[in-house]
Amino acid sequence: MPLLTDLSAAVAAGKRIDTIRITQELLAAGTSPQDVVEQGLVPGMANVGELFRRNEIFVPEMLVAARAMKEALKLLEPLLAKAGIKPKYTVVIGTVQGDLHDIGKNLVAMMWKGANFAVVDLGTNVSADRYVAAAREHNANVVGLSALLTTTMPAMKETVRLLKEANLPNVKIMVGGAPITQAFADEIGADGYSADAGSAVNIALKLVGEAA
Amino acid sequence: MPTVTMTGCERVNRMLARQDHDRVPRHDTYWPETIARWQREGLQWDQTDALRLLGSDFQVLCWAWPAPFPGHREVLAQDAETETVRDAWGGVGRFWKGRSGTPEHISFGCDSREAWEKTYRPALLAAPNPINTQLAALRFREGRQLGKWTYLSGVEAFEALRRLIGDETCLVAMIEDPDWIRDIVQVHTDLVIRHLEVVLAAGVQPAGLWIYGDMAYNHSTMCSPAMYRDLVWPSHKRLADWAHAHGMKFIYHTDGRVTGVLDLLIAAGVDCLQPIEAKAGMDIRLFAPTHGDRLAMFGNIDVMKMATNDVAVLEEEIRTKFAAGMATRGYAYHSDHSVPPSVSWATYQAIVGLVQRYGTY
Repeated sequence: MPLLTDLSAAVAAGKRIDTIRITQELLAAGTSPQDVVEQGLVPGMANVGELFRRNEIFVPEMLVAARAMKEALKLLEPLLAKAGIKPKYTVVIGTVQGDLHDIGKNLVAMMWKGANFAVVDLGTNVSADRYVAAAREHNANVVGLSALLTTTMPAMKETVRLLKEANLPNVKIMVGGAPITQAFADEIGADGYSADAGSAVNIALKLVGEAA
Repeated sequence: MPTVTMTGCERVNRMLARQDHDRVPRHDTYWPETIARWQREGLQWDQTDALRLLGSDFQVLCWAWPAPFPGHREVLAQDAETETVRDAWGGVGRFWKGRSGTPEHISFGCDSREAWEKTYRPALLAAPNPINTQLAALRFREGRQLGKWTYLSGVEAFEALRRLIGDETCLVAMIEDPDWIRDIVQVHTDLVIRHLEVVLAAGVQPAGLWIYGDMAYNHSTMCSPAMYRDLVWPSHKRLADWAHAHGMKFIYHTDGRVTGVLDLLIAAGVDCLQPIEAKAGMDIRLFAPTHGDRLAMFGNIDVMKMATNDVAVLEEEIRTKFAAGMATRGYAYHSDHSVPPSVSWATYQAIVGLVQRYGTY
């Protein structure tokens, strides 16, 4: 029988067929779906994030790893749903109003999914009101705002302001994107800033109080 | 103190060869909204006037971006702010109405190797050359008369790949089906050269080839240096070799952090890198001393600092970066991206003054 560490290694290497096979074998051997996710897939994707952050792998390797993970989750999600097991954290993500760019946002969503967060992707050109409504509706732990353009940074600032005013005490706000810096994040009152998709999981975990 | 006045063409050629010249060559790019703002604040006409005030040394002649369905633009849906369009590459994107900005890419017609081989490859090879050779020749004559550095322009293979098959398909295929990527890269590069050769055949003798392709973002290159070397670098080398064989210098435009591939770009034959995006961590003060003897640098003046509209901040930016670049004799002014509409006309006029003040040898 393969080990959970074999699954972590397969998903980190982006070996889709091996990832599916090992997932099936682990389930057949009686490993719980929750353990397969939390002790197999999540550590594999965490390794991907760390290697990416250190420039030891790049976007193509991250994409094939995420694709392998997605295939495994197709097998696991019905079993998790049947057992009533839900992800511990819910995150809402989108690109701010006035910005149609989505590559960075998609990469972060992919990594959050790989960390077993429930991800609500609002897409692009998302108004502040929609962020607030989604955060409330899904009882989000983290709301992620992305911007590519310098011209949409004011929209990010406005969204942070409205989220803060919406009286959602459990919601932490994370920002990122090409023109965004830690200094800008601090200036507009965001709770966290991620410079790259590889760091986004650890920063979100820290924001919700988990040691990353 | 300069003792002679040079034409823009002489100035840029000497900059590219890292030989003495009178002042830093200059060019810039503006968002349409920036020009609209400046018109409200005193700019008399359009971006031509801004470039004239700056003292631009450059003149584009034509643009090569082979498409399978040239001229195709089909509006599929629209709302008050955006319209969804199927374009000349077979992709569907959502674009802003009446303002600039990066579109949202919704789908790509060429989404598999099968679609490429059956439809898109044959369509690309059969499509007419969209370059207006007469217009290119007219611009060349005008540019030469004004002493400008005239150049052919277009899009390189990595940018073309992303437009044709999309980021995700492209980047995954770089691992899972590299031969498909090689084929697209080769077909695109063949066509760019074929299209531009028609301009040369009309008697146009440009000084350079300035090719656009964003292969990086704020964290790094999109793919590893090894993957770039294997799949895309050969096309960059081919374009550089072709330019050099026709007496042209080769300027390569890429946004993002490309510090990891600077040596590969030099080995490909890139003569000059532009625009050297500051917000992605690119800083000529750091790599002019290490690479400035082999690579000319064009840009790096931070648009985020321009957007502060604080002349003291800009003076420090221009003074220190010009000093680093000018020490190599291989530096030209350009914003590190495009000047955004948050920059006032008064600020830009101050920038031009600083460029003049600190950019004279």
